[in-house]
Amino acid sequence: MFKAGFAILQGLATTIKHVFERPVTVEYPEKRKEFSERFKGRHELKRYDNGLEKCIGCSLCSAACPADAIWVEAAENTDKERYSPGERYAKTYEINMLRCIFCGYCEDACPTEAIVLEKHIELSYYDRESAIFTKEMLLVPPPPGVWGTPKSVTPHSFDRAIPVMENPE
Amino acid sequence: MAKTVTIVVDDIEYEVPAGMNLVDVCKQYAGVDIPVFCYHPKLGHDGNCRMCLVELATPRKNPHTGEMELAWFPTLQTACTQKTSEGMTVRTKSQKVIDGRREILEFLLSSHPLDCPICDKGGECPLQELTLRHGPGTSRMYWEEKMHLGKHVPLGELIYLDQERCILCARCIRFQDNIADDPVLAFDQRGRHQQIITASSPGFNSIFSGDTTDICPVGALTSADFRFNARPWEMVQVATICSHCPVGCNMSFDTRTDREAGGRTTIKRIMPRQNERVNEIWICDKGRFAHHHMEHPERLTKPLIRRNGRLVEAGWEEALREVTAQLQHAGENVAAIAGGRLPNEDLFALQKLIRAQGSHHIDAYPPVRGGEFTASVGVGVGTNLADMGSGDAIVVIAGDLHEEAPLWWLRVKAAAERGAMLITIGGRETRLDKFATHSLRYDYTEEVATLNALLGCMKLTGLPRSVDGLKEAVKGARAFKPDKAIKDAAEALAGANNVIALVGHEGLDGQGSHNLAQAVANLLMATGHFGRPNNGLIVVWPTANGQGASDIGVRPDYRPGYQRIPVPGMGYTDILAALADNTLRALYVVGADPLFDDPAAEQALRSTLGTIIVQDMFLTATAEVADVVLPSQSAAEREGTYTSGERRVQRFYPAIEPCGQSQPDWLIIQTIGKRLGHGNPSPSAAAVLLEIAKTVPQYAGITYQTLAEVEPQIPDVGGEDLYYGGTAFRNRHGLGVQWPAAAESGGALSAHPVEAAESIEPEEDMLLVVPITLLYDAEPVFHKTSLLHGRVPGPDILMHPEDARYLDIADGDVVRLSIDGKDITVVVRFDEQAPEGAALLPRRMQVQGAPMAATFATLVRWDVEALER
Repeated sequence: MFKAGFAILQGLATTIKHVFERPVTVEYPEKRKEFSERFKGRHELKRYDNGLEKCIGCSLCSAACPADAIWVEAAENTDKERYSPGERYAKTYEINMLRCIFCGYCEDACPTEAIVLEKHIELSYYDRESAIFTKEMLLVPPPPGVWGTPKSVTPHSFDRAIPVMENPE
Repeated sequence: MAKTVTIVVDDIEYEVPAGMNLVDVCKQYAGVDIPVFCYHPKLGHDGNCRMCLVELATPRKNPHTGEMELAWFPTLQTACTQKTSEGMTVRTKSQKVIDGRREILEFLLSSHPLDCPICDKGGECPLQELTLRHGPGTSRMYWEEKMHLGKHVPLGELIYLDQERCILCARCIRFQDNIADDPVLAFDQRGRHQQIITASSPGFNSIFSGDTTDICPVGALTSADFRFNARPWEMVQVATICSHCPVGCNMSFDTRTDREAGGRTTIKRIMPRQNERVNEIWICDKGRFAHHHMEHPERLTKPLIRRNGRLVEAGWEEALREVTAQLQHAGENVAAIAGGRLPNEDLFALQKLIRAQGSHHIDAYPPVRGGEFTASVGVGVGTNLADMGSGDAIVVIAGDLHEEAPLWWLRVKAAAERGAMLITIGGRETRLDKFATHSLRYDYTEEVATLNALLGCMKLTGLPRSVDGLKEAVKGARAFKPDKAIKDAAEALAGANNVIALVGHEGLDGQGSHNLAQAVANLLMATGHFGRPNNGLIVVWPTANGQGASDIGVRPDYRPGYQRIPVPGMGYTDILAALADNTLRALYVVGADPLFDDPAAEQALRSTLGTIIVQDMFLTATAEVADVVLPSQSAAEREGTYTSGERRVQRFYPAIEPCGQSQPDWLIIQTIGKRLGHGNPSPSAAAVLLEIAKTVPQYAGITYQTLAEVEPQIPDVGGEDLYYGGTAFRNRHGLGVQWPAAAESGGALSAHPVEAAESIEPEEDMLLVVPITLLYDAEPVFHKTSLLHGRVPGPDILMHPEDARYLDIADGDVVRLSIDGKDITVVVRFDEQAPEGAALLPRRMQVQGAPMAATFATLVRWDVEALER
């Protein structure tokens, strides 16, 4: 009898001890956890401060992707209708999130740091088609007060696709 | 066997031919890749890029001791400018060489923008590859010190230049100067400001401009058609054969799925595929860019049936039932006209259907003859125009190869430059005359007379016994009186080792082209130039598969395999006449559009009471008057074979998904055949070819497997190692099979004397109008490519200034011509090269009405209505 009662108290003590500890879970979705710097969530396509897209449609992310999740189609920029610096921009940019394995190779391959695996984690869908993120969904909005793309620019002001390279030491 | 020498490459001895280029020798015999940019085996050496540096030594007599010793050059030498000689010793892997290459690459990259991610060449770029292998890895250049030049400089509407990427290797300039003979590119400025410019109007005016993008070792030259369209590694290569002319260039469709095309596979670009016997590594711009008709939105997707005077869409079942009923009703009063661009399988199915109906009224369009002569004395198996050189002769008759078969022009010109005799015989000056050793001019209608005169004055020592009737033919030819030019040409021709004759059909109708081909065949037979490689006849057909159409019996006088029909059916002209007087109940037109470019077809096709069934890719002019229109597939959607003018059967593969409900022509025809009770359709195109091989003796043994066989091509351009740069030319899908002519397989040969055509005396105010063929015309399969519209000439008629002055017409005058009762309005253009006494009218132009053959037209000086407009 005594033995049994002790066992119960022992068990409860373990439970009660946890009542006073800080919980490891958060009240999702009202509260969210901070992710570590190297966390790899859903991608974003970045813009320059002037609103132009960083992506130049080179398809290197698509070539690097081990899961064949990225589809890029390119087209030619004009100064009247400019999406990105240089001659080429991504006309179509799609990532199939069901295929993506969040390895980050696309980020490594990108010559302009346009694609970044960000902290978005809500990736659930009712059908397969909605798992395909289009360019509009991936592209971040332009900085406040800056016109997005396409935009008309001064001729020959954005002739270079790759940001100016570093000079040698 | 050529003389051989022993050379030492990296301490290993090799036995190699003497006088060969060192870069080629190292590649071919030693397996050593010497990196190159400016050198190209097709262009020769230039030695300007300095990439191919090696340590070099040659044996030399020591002036002091008198003994032979190896003397090393004090500096690195360019391998591409060296020819192999006895004892030549090369080091290609020493530290000195490695350092030298690294420094050269640093120079080449000193202003290169390094925008590989957006460069169309990125991924198949020799500069990229060689920098990875031999380059310095990092740059020592400051950004400000680099040259910043134009990145989007159009050299004409087809080719764009990126001046920063250019490494000034001059491959494009040398190609245009030496190979294409269109010296429209040049260097401008000097030193670091040096750049490529075009000096022509319109810019980069050459029909081979696209080839420069292939041989460019960097992404400096890109084509407007492909610019930023896809990355090289994303595309799937599908082997194909060009369907625009009888050369049969080997090409590949580079395909990729496309979001804008709704996820369909689309053709992104066309690349040449190396076949040293056909097109080497070149294709013309028509072959490269004129593929847009295949994916054009105006393609027919469903069958159409005429209901209450209008063509309305219908299902296949309904359309086939209608066609079957009409053909059943017509019985043997049926005729067929097949386009010469159709593959062999379709042509075979069509002739089988028509003959199963009991009719021989079948003809190819345009109706050019001469196949029976190529079948007997055509060029021998193994013929290669690249083998023709000093001591050989090429005769080009009645045609402008530059416009009709550009690659033959290119290769004939190259042969002439190697020293081959070139005899051009024609009614006017063409671009080939510049390279000709003898140019013979005739008045149109005197083609046969000229050839007979040429044969008549040849000094013949014994005629080949294998040919029947040769004596009579030569005797007949002796009646023609040669002039001095012909005598000179005959003398030159008599001394030739090998003779190839390319016979065209300019200004000739079906019978005329037959007679001319016979006259040329007589000449070849009498001089014994047949039945062996590099000798014989080539007919310059107006379409890609004119030879195949003739072989397969798409003509009224021969069954498949040239089995003569005792009572021939009606040919094209007779079919039109029979339609006009309603003795034919049905006409089946497959892949041809006579209403578009033959004024003589107008009245017959529009007025006939018979049923017209048209099977085509587009709603062509002929289809618009049809009772039933059936949608067929383009060559990119299906497989099949073409037979080139050199009798090489070549296979093409399906590249894209079918357009709408369209079907391959052979399958449609065989399905109709089944409903008419002529047996079940074949299971595949391959099975149709098997049947052809069984029926046509010449095609025996030809299957899709044998057509897919390949052998190494020398020079090896664009293998895995990207040694010579350029893009992937490697031929992995088949080189085709050339079938033996009767002269080689021991068949019977016979010659017949040919009568000269009667010359017609023109009446007052009559003008001899000669139709000519231009490369860029308004034919639907070409004209759907809007990229090339700027190169299609306007409604011009070319006249010699003397003639025009006599007729009191000025350059640019708008005149009206009445040809065969049809009026057309054209603009007179003066052309010094036009013959006197005849006006040249390009065929298949926007203003239709050029006759099929040379015709007298009534001239009305000014088109009053046009002037008022």
